[in-house]
Amino acid sequence: MRGSDRSAIFFTPAGRVLPLVAFVLVWQAASATKWLDPAFLPPPTAVATALFDLLRGSEIRDNLLVTLMRAAIGLVLGAAAGVWLGLMMARSVVFRAYVAPIVGGTYSLPKSALIPLFILWFGIGTVTTVCAVFLACLLPMIVNTFQGVASTPKVLVWGAEALGTSRRDMLLRIFLPHALPDIFTGLRIALGFSFVLAISSEMIASTNGIGKLIFMYGENGAYDYMFAAIACIVIVAFLADRFMLLVTRRYLRWHESAVAREAA
Amino acid sequence: MRALIAPKIQIQGLSKSYPGEKTPVLALQAVDISVSEGEFVSIVGPSGCGKSTLLYVVGGFLNADGQVLVDGKAVQGPGTDRGVVFQEYALFPWLTVRNNILYGLERGSLPPDERARIADRLIGVIGLRGFEDRYPRELSGGMKQRVAIARTLACDPAILLLDEPFGALDAQTREVMQDELLRIWLETRKTVLMITHDVSEAVYLSNRICVMSARPGQIVDEFKIDLDRSIPREVLFTSDAFNRIRNEVWISVRREALAAEKLNARV
Repeated sequence: MRGSDRSAIFFTPAGRVLPLVAFVLVWQAASATKWLDPAFLPPPTAVATALFDLLRGSEIRDNLLVTLMRAAIGLVLGAAAGVWLGLMMARSVVFRAYVAPIVGGTYSLPKSALIPLFILWFGIGTVTTVCAVFLACLLPMIVNTFQGVASTPKVLVWGAEALGTSRRDMLLRIFLPHALPDIFTGLRIALGFSFVLAISSEMIASTNGIGKLIFMYGENGAYDYMFAAIACIVIVAFLADRFMLLVTRRYLRWHESAVAREAA
Repeated sequence: MRALIAPKIQIQGLSKSYPGEKTPVLALQAVDISVSEGEFVSIVGPSGCGKSTLLYVVGGFLNADGQVLVDGKAVQGPGTDRGVVFQEYALFPWLTVRNNILYGLERGSLPPDERARIADRLIGVIGLRGFEDRYPRELSGGMKQRVAIARTLACDPAILLLDEPFGALDAQTREVMQDELLRIWLETRKTVLMITHDVSEAVYLSNRICVMSARPGQIVDEFKIDLDRSIPREVLFTSDAFNRIRNEVWISVRREALAAEKLNARV
């Protein structure tokens, strides 16, 4: 009991920030004592100064909005298509026979490897980034939706049939609700992927966006500004993930995992 | 006049086989059962004898060779005239108690306030007032099965198909649920076909018991139960009449269970 009392502090809101604060302090100390070359790793104070400077201007905000828009479009399209494809795969043997090998073959492919291909097709800009995000989000959504629909217990389907559910209603009334926990799991994975692909695609195939900004600062040796831009996207991605958890908790109150997720 | 005495459920020459590793496995063989309107019939037998398969065929969930007639018409698929209660409750976990009970009603043609009234009455009948807005995961096994029964009763089916409805409950809860089912049946006089492996349960609740053999499932014995349902459980359970018939059924089931054991040992 004593041990759990002592570690309890880490689970308070303030306690969760504690390791982060310690990390920043060590970083600052390492820079101040010249143990780390500030040219390669600017101290947190320099990054903070750059961050304040960036937040005063509109550059970071405009580019961040561009990136978020691209990530959101790709995520929404990828999620919608993924849910539909996953549902079809689980409900139609013929459809699965056609699609499963393609999904299996591309699942482990790093989607960023296809960015040069998208550049060839769509040039430099939004379409290429959205395509990369779309593809990266699509696969976890397909796989998770399929899993959720295919694992629907037979008695639930039979029970629904005996209560007068038509074949057409079955998808919306039984299969989708049953797959919802898995769909949310897929969404959380896809959300992470959407940031990864939006930023990496912007670095090589865009004239704007936060990815391009980070890349430019790096090329020009403005490492404090580069870190500040990275910090911005880290915070935004973190908030997006928390928001997703909030939404998940709201819609999965009925599910066992709702309790487990709250503890995490 | 013939139409009036025609059985509610008529199972004729029903056989069902599943694809096996080498040869098909015969689960049911030439099963004939008929159930009259308002009758409570139980099917008991060793586990794996195909009892549940039989119920699923009557429910219209599985196809089989032979015929199942309900009101003289061949069963084509699942229908709201046959309410089903499964051992594993089969509640929709994403719906609250109230919405689970409302689910079947919403697929019917009743006006909304009438549906709400029926759901409310049933929540009272199963004693879950105050739990209307809980989700199934927040309920005990007994409560879940009560909701499942209420959900089925809400659609007012003429026939109840019960697949080991109390098999997953502890002994005390099971007795309470049996009493509740008996009360509901005495009130509504629905036609009931119940699968169970609990001999006392079958004797306590049924008008008639069919004993099924080890695979392939066949009806090998039939017992008519003529007990006074108005006397309390403890009096009935200690009475000679109850125990005599219980022992007869038990010996018959045991014989089949031992045969099933031998069959399994050989495989």
